[in-house]
Amino acid sequence: MSDQQTPNTVTFTLDGQEVTVPKGTTILRAAESIGIKIPHYCFHPGLSSPAMCRLCLVEVEGWPRMAPSCKETAQDGMVVFTNSELAQKQRTGVLEFYLVNHPLDCPICDQSGECDLQDYVFEEGREHGRGREPKRVLGRDDFGGDVLFNGDRCVMCTRCVRFMREVAEDERLCVVERGNRAVIDTFFEEGLEGSPYAGNIIDICPVGALISKDFLHKARAWDLDRTPSVCPSCSQGCNITLQVRDDLVQRLKPRENLEVNGWWMCDFGRHNYEWMNRTDRTEVPMVRGQEVGWADALGDLLQALKDAKESVKAVTWAHAPNEEMGLLSGLLAELGGGEVVYRSPRTEGEVPLPGFPLLARREDLAPNVNGAEIFGFRRVGDNNSQGGLDELAGHDGVLIVVGDPIEDYGEDFGSKAELYVYLGSYQSKTASNAHFVLPITTFAEQEGTYTNVQGRVQRFWPGVRSPASARPGWLILGALVAELTGTEAPVSADQAFAKIAEKTSEFGGITYRDLGPRGAVAGKPAGVSGD
Amino acid sequence: MPPTVKVMRRPEGVRTSFLRATLKGMALTFKHMVNPNKITVQYPEERMEITPRWRGTHRMETHADGRPKCVACGLCPTVCPSNCIRLVGGEDDQGNRYPIVYEIDEFRCIFCGMCQEVCPVEAIHVGVHYENAEYTRDRFVYDLDRLMEQDHPTSLLWDPSDPKSE
Repeated sequence: MSDQQTPNTVTFTLDGQEVTVPKGTTILRAAESIGIKIPHYCFHPGLSSPAMCRLCLVEVEGWPRMAPSCKETAQDGMVVFTNSELAQKQRTGVLEFYLVNHPLDCPICDQSGECDLQDYVFEEGREHGRGREPKRVLGRDDFGGDVLFNGDRCVMCTRCVRFMREVAEDERLCVVERGNRAVIDTFFEEGLEGSPYAGNIIDICPVGALISKDFLHKARAWDLDRTPSVCPSCSQGCNITLQVRDDLVQRLKPRENLEVNGWWMCDFGRHNYEWMNRTDRTEVPMVRGQEVGWADALGDLLQALKDAKESVKAVTWAHAPNEEMGLLSGLLAELGGGEVVYRSPRTEGEVPLPGFPLLARREDLAPNVNGAEIFGFRRVGDNNSQGGLDELAGHDGVLIVVGDPIEDYGEDFGSKAELYVYLGSYQSKTASNAHFVLPITTFAEQEGTYTNVQGRVQRFWPGVRSPASARPGWLILGALVAELTGTEAPVSADQAFAKIAEKTSEFGGITYRDLGPRGAVAGKPAGVSGD
Repeated sequence: MPPTVKVMRRPEGVRTSFLRATLKGMALTFKHMVNPNKITVQYPEERMEITPRWRGTHRMETHADGRPKCVACGLCPTVCPSNCIRLVGGEDDQGNRYPIVYEIDEFRCIFCGMCQEVCPVEAIHVGVHYENAEYTRDRFVYDLDRLMEQDHPTSLLWDPSDPKSE
């Protein structure tokens, strides 16, 4: 923000501070930019503002009445008070009205702990209610899909109605009746079933009126550890938060990134997390059926690779991060070249989100198809990520498997291989012939990057603890490459990425510093965008 | 320098009578026999009265139909400083939230009473109770049924005549 006043900015006073913002900025957004939070329900940055919750009213000097800050744009010379006596009194009064029919069932409400009504009433509400009338009771209503509606808790902000109208463009919700009797409802029996983006209304609901059936009573909001990550369910790479309790992923929530997914994510990705909690894991390094330590395993493997320097074939999958793919490709180059194939599930047709054209559930149902293409891997197998490996199954040279559990092949996979190395997170019958079984961490347990459909490289962070002996794939491959080339082995994902970026022109010299929490498009490093 | 021990020799040839000391002790005994202010309690025939603010092993309150009052809100495991409460919530067939698993490890518990204080539905209580002996250690992890079976009085936590401790 520059202090120089140009015709495109306005300067006004907000709680005694001079603020300069671009013309057309609302008071609420201007306040957010200097760290002043104005309570609000109906306003959401991705939706229109109807200014109907009456909670964001601020006092403007010289104006006859209070102004809704979510709608009112800042003007030159305005003097705004968000925390004056009048503004506070107004908020306390509005909050009292919100509680007239609210059941105050926070102990059994899933929103408890992340509820805006709870927060605002705690901060500025009256200590005791004055209502003497019985509360209106609506009970709960199954809206279809994953959404459960609890009308008593609703504050009528209509974010859900506006999301379905403006962003999903699939108008299935509306406000029924008026005034005191107003309630959100679906049309007849139609419900939200089959609407691919309906889960977002659970996220944007500021209270516990719309809750997820999948998450119902599973965990309290304050028990969850939140880790920024990237959705692994398609090549769009929506920015998400892994919400984890006791090392089990409980739910996925979208994370704001205006260049990828806005504030949204699709229900397919949202509910595709159970596999992250799989327990049939590889846990200790095995060399020819014997449990060994990592140092011995890597030493033996290095010797075996040096002895068998011929005809290498490798297979991986599109769930592998860039670091793993890049170093696998580097390892093969050191072993005298060889082909890497990968498999990835695919579906017909994209599922776009009409109100946010950048976002769609893409055809490739794996996060790093673009990364595999950048490294020149060849795609095999069908649309269910099955088959295509017949040539490798009977390969008699060196066979390296990274990530893919290859569950569609039998126990004779790799039985003819001179050296069969299986780097995987999951136990698999196809690994039974492997000379080396090395446990690697899953994407939820390690740091790394994915390249999405736009060519944007995005980081993810570890949110779950891995089995004690599992190591990230890039650490193992990086150590092997380093030993073969006589260079220093990467000890962090940052170094691993730097190692592959210097050899891969498509990444255009970007580093982890350039990526930040929002990622950067390969080839044109952007500045670190703020979180 | 090595430590040295000085040995005191008992004086030889001196006769000591214990009669005076014995009489003195018996005099005290007889004095207490006739003393009207007896303070020894004949436990277990007699029991001391314990304060209503006593914080002992827990008890779960139940509804009239025998369901636990607990709604599995998760506040007691959150507030518990010794992390001794394990709670898994769920929904019963009538759509009520209830604890599927509710366990308190009484060995880890420090009897601070914060679980009772924080409970929004007055379900979990610390009890006015002290006889907890068991034959095995694992009997000290009280599960939901055990907590509901307890019938001792529950703690008041604060003095009813001075609830704000003023």
